[in-house]
Amino acid sequence: MAAETMKMLAIGLVLGLGALGPGIGIGIIGYGAMQGLARNPEARGPIFTNMIFAVAMAEAIAIYALIVAIMLGFVF
Amino acid sequence: MTGPKKRGCLGCSFPVLVIVGIIAIAIVVIGFLAGPIGQAMFHINFPSWLVVPKPEINLAAPHLFTVFGLPITNTMIAGWITVIILVLGSWLITRRMKLVPNRVQAVFEFLLGWIYDLCISVAGEKNARKFFPVVCTIFLFVAFNAWLSLIPGYGSILITTNGAAHELLRGANTDLNTPLALAIVSFFFVTYFGIKALGVGWLKQYFNIGPLFRSIGDIFKGKFRFMEIFSGAINIFVGGLEFISMLIRLISFTFRLFGNMTAGEILVLIGAFLLPMAVSWLVYGFEFLVGLVQALVFGMLTLVFASMAVTSHEEEAHEVESH
Repeated sequence: MAAETMKMLAIGLVLGLGALGPGIGIGIIGYGAMQGLARNPEARGPIFTNMIFAVAMAEAIAIYALIVAIMLGFVF
Repeated sequence: MTGPKKRGCLGCSFPVLVIVGIIAIAIVVIGFLAGPIGQAMFHINFPSWLVVPKPEINLAAPHLFTVFGLPITNTMIAGWITVIILVLGSWLITRRMKLVPNRVQAVFEFLLGWIYDLCISVAGEKNARKFFPVVCTIFLFVAFNAWLSLIPGYGSILITTNGAAHELLRGANTDLNTPLALAIVSFFFVTYFGIKALGVGWLKQYFNIGPLFRSIGDIFKGKFRFMEIFSGAINIFVGGLEFISMLIRLISFTFRLFGNMTAGEILVLIGAFLLPMAVSWLVYGFEFLVGLVQALVFGMLTLVFASMAVTSHEEEAHEVESH
């Protein structure tokens, strides 16, 4: 395979696989938040704030993959 | 019904609403056709000012000029603009404070009060007062950096230096150095409060060699307890792990902020390139939210680690026992 092809493949794979885990994680976080909300609707504010934090944590991992993909695409 | 008579939808009369809708749809359609996707599908010739050139993305901030041997990058200028705006704004707002606040003062009182309440809920009444200034400064700097870089002019005003055109302004956190500096500030802040609250005991979390040497010393007193030596070695290992995780925290702080801001900027550029005028509105709203959330996450994580640093492990154990 040509080097350019490998690079393109790598970029796609990095972001695809890198977003897989955080995607599942954010899904689980949302599931937990919804369940908590259904059981205790008064706690909407704190649940939402903490959910946003947890989502940002999970999202950061996808962002690392994105940085690698961007660097592969634009820098190297 | 005693309220004012409702005039149509969204405060506009119906014909005005239709005209606005048609204009919006026309902008979206023209943007789609002028973008690379529409060009590839339909090959319609558009005037050159409608066709967006492929954006040039560079991760490293370019040097614009040099002041006293110090290279000035475009992200530095944007960072200083943020600082100046924040300082001037705070000065103007707090210059004439009233007991009954006017509008601007009320907005800022609400914002700061909200962060202060978050601080109290995380760190408790006693520590919140100490942590609030740094946490709030980090929050305001990161948030205003992100929001100011959405203003038109950031990234679109070009300046030619060294034979190449560069943006005059670029959001400060899209340069790796600014998030790293913020992360180091937050790191030293946590360390300072940890050492101030617990003294040398804070370092004991990371270099817990006391129990091992004590148990080895016990051998010479004729008491050989294998389990104590073993748990002492384990303590050293756990302390090492905590130390490594503290250093990794620095890296993750840096890359989270840098990655989110850079990805946001690239998203704006790519959105404006692929579907010009069509998706930029949505992307702008999303970026506004991302800036807020990232600022909040950065500040709150600093707060959480600081409040973890000032409560010793022994104290936690006592609390658990007393409950």
